[in-house]
Amino acid sequence: MAFLIRSVTQTADGREIVRDTRMEKDVLGIGRAAENEISLPDLSVDPRHARIEMRDGRRVAVIANGTLGFEVDGRSTRNTVIDSAKGAELGFGGHRITVAHDGDDVTLTIKRVDAVSDAEEDRDEAAAFSLEGKLPGRRLTAWALVAAVLIGFLAIPVWTFMQGPEKTIYERQAQHSWSSGPLSAAHHSLENNCESCHTQAFVSVRDEACASCHKDVHNHAPPDRIAGARAKPTAWKSLLQTVARTFGKPGPGACVDCHTEHEGAGRMAETKQAFCTDCHATLRQRLADTKLPDAGDFGTAHPQFRPTYGQTRVAMATQIPSGLKFPHDLHLNTSGGVARMAQTLRGRYPFGEALDCKDCHKPSADGVRFRPVEMESSCGMCHSLAYDNVGGTVRTLRHGDVAQAIADLRASTHRASRPPALDGGRRRPGQYAQRQVYSAYFGPAAQRGSDYAVRALFSQSGACAECHTLTPAGGSWTVAPVVQPGRYLMHGWFDHRAHQTETCASCHKAGASGSAADLLLPGIETCRTCHGGEASKAEVPSGCAMCHSYHADDGAPWVPSRPVGRIREDAASNRGRERR
Amino acid sequence: MRDRDLDRRGRVREAAMHEGFLRHRNFRWLKIATALSLAAIAGYGFADVTPRPNGGSWYGYTLGTVAVLLILWLTLLGVRKRWMTRGRWSLKAWTSAHVYLGLSLIVTATLHTGFQLGWNVHTLAWALMMLVILSGIWGIVAYAALPKALSSNREELTQTQMLEGLRAIDRQLHEAAQPLAPSQAALVQKSLEQNVFAGGLFRRLSGRHRGCATAKALRGIRREGGQEKVQSLLERKSGMLARLRRHLQLKAMLEVWLYVHVPATFALIAALTAHIVSVFFFW
Amino acid sequence: MADRVRIAIVGSGPAGLSAAARAAQLGLSHVLLEKTDHLSDTIYKYQKGKHVMATPSALVLRSDLDFDAGKREIVLGTWDDQTAKHKVNVRHKSEIKAIEGEAGAFVLTLTDGAKIEAETVVLAIGTQGNPNLVRCPGASLPHVQYQLDDPGEYVDEHITVIGSGDAGIENALGLAADSAQGNTVTILNRSGDFARAKGANVKLLNEAAERGRITIRLETTPAEIRPGEMVLETRDGQETIRCDRVIARMGSAAPRAFIESCGIEFSSPDREAFPKLSPTFESTKPGIFVIGALAGYPLIKHCMNQGHDVIEFINGNKGLKPADEPLLEAKFAKFRARRSVDEWLELLRSNVSILNELSPLQMREFMLDSEVRAYKPDEVIFERNDPGSSLFAIAQGNVLVEVDKDNPRITVPIAQGSVFGEVGLISGRRRGATIRAGENAVIVEVSRTAALKLMASVPAAKRALTRISIERQLLQMFGSGLTAADLAEVIDASEVLTVPAGKHIITEGEDGQDIFVIRVGSMIIEKQVGGKPVFLNYLPAGSYVGEIALVNGGKRTATVKAAIKSEVIRLPGEAFLRLLKAKPRLLDKLRADVADRQNINSFIESRKDSFSGVVDMYSATAGFLIENGIGEATDVLLIDENLCVGCDNCEKACADSHEGLSRLDREAGRTYAHLHVPTSCRHCEHPHCMADCPPNAIHRGPDGEVFIDEKCIGCGNCQRNCPYGVIRMDSVPPKKPPIFAWLLLGLGPGPGEPNKAWKYKDKKDGVEKPKKAIKCDMCAGIKGGPACVRACPTGAAIRVAPEKFLGVARLERETD
Repeated sequence: MAFLIRSVTQTADGREIVRDTRMEKDVLGIGRAAENEISLPDLSVDPRHARIEMRDGRRVAVIANGTLGFEVDGRSTRNTVIDSAKGAELGFGGHRITVAHDGDDVTLTIKRVDAVSDAEEDRDEAAAFSLEGKLPGRRLTAWALVAAVLIGFLAIPVWTFMQGPEKTIYERQAQHSWSSGPLSAAHHSLENNCESCHTQAFVSVRDEACASCHKDVHNHAPPDRIAGARAKPTAWKSLLQTVARTFGKPGPGACVDCHTEHEGAGRMAETKQAFCTDCHATLRQRLADTKLPDAGDFGTAHPQFRPTYGQTRVAMATQIPSGLKFPHDLHLNTSGGVARMAQTLRGRYPFGEALDCKDCHKPSADGVRFRPVEMESSCGMCHSLAYDNVGGTVRTLRHGDVAQAIADLRASTHRASRPPALDGGRRRPGQYAQRQVYSAYFGPAAQRGSDYAVRALFSQSGACAECHTLTPAGGSWTVAPVVQPGRYLMHGWFDHRAHQTETCASCHKAGASGSAADLLLPGIETCRTCHGGEASKAEVPSGCAMCHSYHADDGAPWVPSRPVGRIREDAASNRGRERR
Repeated sequence: MRDRDLDRRGRVREAAMHEGFLRHRNFRWLKIATALSLAAIAGYGFADVTPRPNGGSWYGYTLGTVAVLLILWLTLLGVRKRWMTRGRWSLKAWTSAHVYLGLSLIVTATLHTGFQLGWNVHTLAWALMMLVILSGIWGIVAYAALPKALSSNREELTQTQMLEGLRAIDRQLHEAAQPLAPSQAALVQKSLEQNVFAGGLFRRLSGRHRGCATAKALRGIRREGGQEKVQSLLERKSGMLARLRRHLQLKAMLEVWLYVHVPATFALIAALTAHIVSVFFFW
Repeated sequence: MADRVRIAIVGSGPAGLSAAARAAQLGLSHVLLEKTDHLSDTIYKYQKGKHVMATPSALVLRSDLDFDAGKREIVLGTWDDQTAKHKVNVRHKSEIKAIEGEAGAFVLTLTDGAKIEAETVVLAIGTQGNPNLVRCPGASLPHVQYQLDDPGEYVDEHITVIGSGDAGIENALGLAADSAQGNTVTILNRSGDFARAKGANVKLLNEAAERGRITIRLETTPAEIRPGEMVLETRDGQETIRCDRVIARMGSAAPRAFIESCGIEFSSPDREAFPKLSPTFESTKPGIFVIGALAGYPLIKHCMNQGHDVIEFINGNKGLKPADEPLLEAKFAKFRARRSVDEWLELLRSNVSILNELSPLQMREFMLDSEVRAYKPDEVIFERNDPGSSLFAIAQGNVLVEVDKDNPRITVPIAQGSVFGEVGLISGRRRGATIRAGENAVIVEVSRTAALKLMASVPAAKRALTRISIERQLLQMFGSGLTAADLAEVIDASEVLTVPAGKHIITEGEDGQDIFVIRVGSMIIEKQVGGKPVFLNYLPAGSYVGEIALVNGGKRTATVKAAIKSEVIRLPGEAFLRLLKAKPRLLDKLRADVADRQNINSFIESRKDSFSGVVDMYSATAGFLIENGIGEATDVLLIDENLCVGCDNCEKACADSHEGLSRLDREAGRTYAHLHVPTSCRHCEHPHCMADCPPNAIHRGPDGEVFIDEKCIGCGNCQRNCPYGVIRMDSVPPKKPPIFAWLLLGLGPGPGEPNKAWKYKDKKDGVEKPKKAIKCDMCAGIKGGPACVRACPTGAAIRVAPEKFLGVARLERETD
């Protein structure tokens, strides 16, 4: 009846070394201190931690000496009694003591279960010394990111595309991550609607897509002619074109060639002069039958204007049958009678020291051109057609209706006291006071009888012939028609408003023109005083698109619309605005 | 200095001098990369693209193609490094090329964008690329600066030996501490139980270890004027710990950038795929 | 009582066993005498579970016992069973003391006094010999033992290890390794240091001593051994220590003495020499046959075949052809001349002067390690700068040496019967000149090991070779139209000196005009500059020094000392001067060399003032490299730790290009000024690992690399012999999944050597993988060269030949 202390130690290679000692004692000390019968080299054990007392042959009591307890089969306690036959396991710090019964001895098997120090724990060094476990693994992160990107930026957009045109706002947003940049102001509304232009996957934007909205765009010319007209590209250009074609880009001349998109909010980029001159600079070489002369650059290579008069194109500075006798020089003269007259009538009309263009020429509503001059409002200011005075009311001949004029005149003469003195030749207006005029004028004629008065009116020296060319026809006369074309340059666009800064005379040499037959349009050289080619140093660099419209119609040429709420405006936008 | 030559059997004989990857073959790849970048810039200046330079112009596509091919090739370094095939290649040369061509991407790819950046997949790709390159630059700096420190710090000790030393001293500490009073014993026990490799990334990188059990134990035992032996052991241990931690810190610094560089690279490749597909999808 | 047998077989190793089995089969009366209580003690002592190899595989096994590669236990088991089955008459615990008498009536006396009469005796006692015994009172006590099988089985004992060799130290370390065993280990060393042991072992021992695990007692010998304690004879008187067990590892006495005492002659007094034997293994003492390792055949298969054969011979079967016949036939098969193997051997033996003294048996063995080839006129045998350490002998025809490397037309003939290539053999350096066949020639290429064995066993051959080599070396070195005749006088006066590492052969400032030619090893030249020795140059074997003083007269201008244990040829100055007078061209050549050397000197001098720091660093670095064995290296891996980021890609690359095992340890090894010499093979000129390789599996390859071929039996000798600890014993890990599987999915352990856990997890159970010796082979045969260098991402790792690295060019670069 004794204690058999069996201490089990492990070697590095895992073999167990067992050392037995038999203790003929009733009480064993357990603790770190060496004098204990069971000394456990374990820092978490008190020097005199506990004692084991033999109660009888089988039962032993374990009592803690200090405040520190121990474990019995995992439960921590401060004292316990164990039936060694049943057995139990005591835990002291890193040690386990198994109590058992063998023969008539109580065996205490002592084992260290915890390593002495953490460093003892064997770990995979390569891993321990690296950052493994401190950060999410590279492979994992990589895959995660790949998946995220592919789903978010590839799968979802494609899927939404598959959904067809009508989309929720979210779907549009998802797709929007593909947009390489904001659309121009013009197309702003399409911002979230890729399909409106990119109708098919892997097919580049076609003209049809544009045409679906821009229905009324005229063709520049029949496609075959355009094809014929296009300059033969350089080796490099044709290489680029081949590549572009192989990648399925629409051939040259497609809308997107000029109108590039996704270049940022705001105005679309202006079309470059090159787009025109590519063909037009040397058009004749390729289109022998074309009526168009070559034009490469407004400043240097542009033909003289060829105005249209009636149906025909006429040269600059020719005489045109205007059907009117109107010497501009006489009327604009600042010292002549006309000027006097203007001064006398200044009270009634907005005249200056002399007549001015604007006194007769009124701009059209859009201000681009001028209205035809009207006899009543313009000429009539001085040239009166009064022929009678009834109780203070002056009667005036109807202008533009010969028959009516004759009738009126006959009707007035039968009761005249004295015939009007129409033989005495014309009297210049303003020679007399108004009252006297008509009496002095019509008086004698009336006395001579109506036929005489009518004949006098339409005679070469009569009032009409003064401005018009008359030809007798039976009992009546015909007046040659007066032509005042609103627009001479049918293929170019000229906007007078854009030139408000200039005086009329700076372009139209009216002051020197003695005949209404003079064509007073300025020539290209006049324009060039300000305007030059797109790249020129001229005051106003002007690309083709300033005057010519690619999509040929007689409206103003296309210019990029103004951005919504944009303040900054470059020279181009100024030009654009003034033209409107 | 003589450059590498081939011996009679045509095997590569490196020069009898050490030559780092940065100055490999007299900065060959630096020169090539610079030439490439300058060419790209010049082209950007001269190429007539309408209406404005961007990825969609012919020059844009050219730069883009060059860039994407470069990126894919640069990624292959990871394979080259680990795929020990036969043949006359030198990883050093690859690294050198990787570094310099990688840097030249900053120019090539940025010109490809035509400086049109926005919130879209295209710019995402660009941004990821820049992230990769920046982390790479960190790597270069680390590789250039730290090895010396690493070598001087370890003083011929191998990692295994460092650990072994620690184990040995722990055992001695454990023995020496046996007669100590419970309070002091507890301190030592703490020091024994502490795990050198514990702590997160920040602790590794900063190398700051507040509340180090060993330091505490040393202070505590000094205060209570504990055993000479234990004190000196603890001192030696904290010395070892200092070295080991410095080693860990340096290694971490040399390594951590890869945890950005590599995943970002793959994200980049994914983004590139999306970018390219989207371009052709909405052609 | 004295029982009488026809054949007494001494030693129950593979040879003896096989012989006994044969005898039993033939029904001859025999006895097999075994010293211990178990069969084949040598193999029995292998560590448990060790894999025993069966090489050479080409050789057919001819024995009544089966033998195949496998676990030690299995091999021994089979033998035990089969010896029993064959009813072999074994006598255990019978150590032989003496053999007297003549053929037909030998009397064998055993240590236990018993006598055995035998007509013939077969000695198969191997080379282990008997351990040297402790000579002091109580040496015979039971707790004195001469070997330690399992250090783990001793617990809580006071153990004293006697002996300062590796064996003793390793035992002591083993016993003290695990503190849990609680052994108190003391190691006694008669001398003051452990000179005989490997540096690594001594280091470990001292560490253990510091930790208080082992007590080292120098200059101490056992005085008396008593139960439980032993008395020590120390410098300061006697001392008694507690001692429960004595383990004496004081080396073993080669059995030679005993064998000679039986009247058997050896071929030479040289240590490696073997007994003279007839083709039937009969020694010079008629009736006594010698087989097995003792006869010079260390491999198990050889031994067993010989066991079989010798009995056949004794039994009168003369017609029996040795088992290696087919191997030899294969060697000669390619010749048109139809000669039998014996005729061939005879032809070679008689034609080649250095082979004349060989016995037919030695010839056989010699030819097994050699190759014989025919060459057409002008066919190149080897070229200048080819690596190679083999020796060539001219059996027929003659060869031409291209003495002038620039003009191949200038040649010197070597006649039939002579040898060439000996410089490579002796210095381990690359070939010095291209050699072509003169006329149709039959050439024998002798492997290095075979050549060394030859020189050991035939003193005449050794002398001849030495002379020839000196002559040739000088001719080749000085060139300038010298002939053997011109040199005769100088050579006669010359002497070969062995210089221990660090010893000066020339000391700066002393008189003397002798010329020294470095034959083996390497030298470093130093110069005192500003009181400090400055490293000037590194001289590999095959170069010469001392010419400055000779040509210019005056005192020595620099110190020349051995970088490692070297051999130099001293050519007396006077004789050499006479030679110079006779040969003005030689004088010019020397002048030129002198000029070069002096340029370097002056260069260093000039640099010294301006860049003293750099120069010191340079010398220091050079010194460091030399002391780390670069002196004997031919190609060494150097890591610049200014560049090394510690990615270990070199190791991974190494493992991945060599069936998953790394041959280098980047971290380990010495470092100086950030120049790191990792633990990796230096491919020494005279590889220590080659010294003792039973299957002769270590060779120097075509690119100068030292490599281990598949013949390795995993004995671990090379590992023990390598002073740089670059050889490891390990088993090939299982195949890894392809690299991309890891890159993409993380399958497998990734690049490099798989960690233990994976190895264990993934290895197919049941298949026993043998541990083999692995070392750097310089990636021979891998296009592109050393993987470690190719795979270094930062250019930190380079492999260089020392003379290139230590060239003064380095200094030039660093200071310019």
